[in-house]
Amino acid sequence: MANLSVNLCGITLKNPVIAASGTFGFGREFHELYDIGQIGGVSTKGMTLDPRLGNPVPRIAESRGVILNAVGLQNPGVEHFIQEDLEWLKSTGTCVIANVAGKTLEDYEKICARLDGLVDMIELNISCPNVKSGGMAFGIKPETVEEVTARAKSGAKHTPLIVKLSPNVENIANNALSAERGGADCVSLINTLTGMAIDIERRRPIIANNTGGVSGAGVKPIAVRMTYEVAQAVKIPVIGMGGITCAEDAIEFLMAGATAVQVGTANFTDPYAMPKIIKDLNDWCDKHGVAELSSLTGTLQLNGK
Amino acid sequence: MKDYLATIVKNEKIAENIHAVTFALDEDIKVRCGQFGNISVGGVHLLRRPIAICKVEGREVTFCYQIKGDGTKKLKDMEAGTRLSVLMPLGNGFFVEEEEQKIALVGGGVGVFPLISVLREYYGKKHISAYIGYRNKAAVCGVDEFGKADTFIAVTDDGSYGEKMNAVQAFEKALLAGNRPDVVLACGPTPMLRALKGVAERENLSCYVSLEERMGCGIGACLVCVCDLTDGKKARVCKDGPVFNASEVVL
Repeated sequence: MANLSVNLCGITLKNPVIAASGTFGFGREFHELYDIGQIGGVSTKGMTLDPRLGNPVPRIAESRGVILNAVGLQNPGVEHFIQEDLEWLKSTGTCVIANVAGKTLEDYEKICARLDGLVDMIELNISCPNVKSGGMAFGIKPETVEEVTARAKSGAKHTPLIVKLSPNVENIANNALSAERGGADCVSLINTLTGMAIDIERRRPIIANNTGGVSGAGVKPIAVRMTYEVAQAVKIPVIGMGGITCAEDAIEFLMAGATAVQVGTANFTDPYAMPKIIKDLNDWCDKHGVAELSSLTGTLQLNGK
Repeated sequence: MKDYLATIVKNEKIAENIHAVTFALDEDIKVRCGQFGNISVGGVHLLRRPIAICKVEGREVTFCYQIKGDGTKKLKDMEAGTRLSVLMPLGNGFFVEEEEQKIALVGGGVGVFPLISVLREYYGKKHISAYIGYRNKAAVCGVDEFGKADTFIAVTDDGSYGEKMNAVQAFEKALLAGNRPDVVLACGPTPMLRALKGVAERENLSCYVSLEERMGCGIGACLVCVCDLTDGKKARVCKDGPVFNASEVVL
């Protein structure tokens, strides 16, 4: 038995596998299939101060090796989460990460202040590609990444703040540095890549929103490369994600510099993906004589060096 | 709900562009009529295919599906012996109240298959009339099953099998003739369901419809497959549905 636990901003996760926001709700549905307390962490469905109804349907499409989604931040609002789901989710024993989004700097500060001290960590969604008011405006330029991070941090005074980075930018490492300067305790990446899938019979995009966020196995090499670039640039811990389907995928991200990983789309392909990955991480470590999984972080050596 | 590793025992064409696949399970399963399964076809297809369960016989579960995209094309070519993951049973399914003795089934297109599961569940227990619409004669299927109903009216869009009309028109004709059911259960294309909802409201009939939507997780977590409710809220087709009271859902 290897030690799979990781330390993220002073918080111990029993393993580095975190459910990615938007694919796992608040955990209740998957808990009908297995005990979600065994998962390292759960990043909740993206929440806003007020409830949101989201985008029209269809909200999802498939392309080989990837999916596209444009749910549009449908959520019951942060108060509903605090009243109805928070205590239950904590009681499962998983690390509770509240994923939050907003329209304005003030929204970000307010929602972080509301959750401060109530959850284990807060993940800032400044990169939702599917909603104009979903914070994307803040997630593109390095200056605004710093500004929104600083405002959020002034709300989340006692709770580690993760800034989730968009890959749809000029230089993701620069944006990671901006988040770090703004006071981020951690960065996570990648959010989805903006894409389009067309129904050629109707000559229209499949998704009602026209474009959607691309995720799933096919985006993994892009995500690994970006995780490496970001991990090289910042001193704060990095959570890697993008197309992780199995333990070996997760290990790639760790070697590229991630302290923990998130699993999203794979939960749709196989609802038991995360428990399987956790079990296989242990088996991989045992087979390779690795006593501490966390020792793999950042061990990548580039060719020619 | 459970992810079954299911073995294909039969996978064959039953009508133009429609196939039926039967899986054998290693254990018993309890399914309510109108529930569905989320079938993994594997490979580059990251999403499962949500398909209505048509019938359950012992440990064998049959799904009927339309060949529509890449995934169903792949499923169609799978041979007996192939093992696939099938997450099921999902969704709420159709419920018929004790006092509702006369059921009308109104179905069109691939929507006829969940209704076969209703027929099988209530056969011999309720009085069942089935009004089923097909595109044309080549699309006609499930006749052996629907033939067991107390009344079975099959119609086609082009009149090549039965009368030339749609399922809702066939149902309205029966209503005019005095065959009023206690409850209407329906599945089919949205325009058909919309028309039926209009008839049910006009005639003050209790009516339940099974909806279809592109799905992500299939278990209610991802909020991809929502529909609009008349109270302004959203519901998840996979978890809160797929069966909704027609009066509560916007079609």
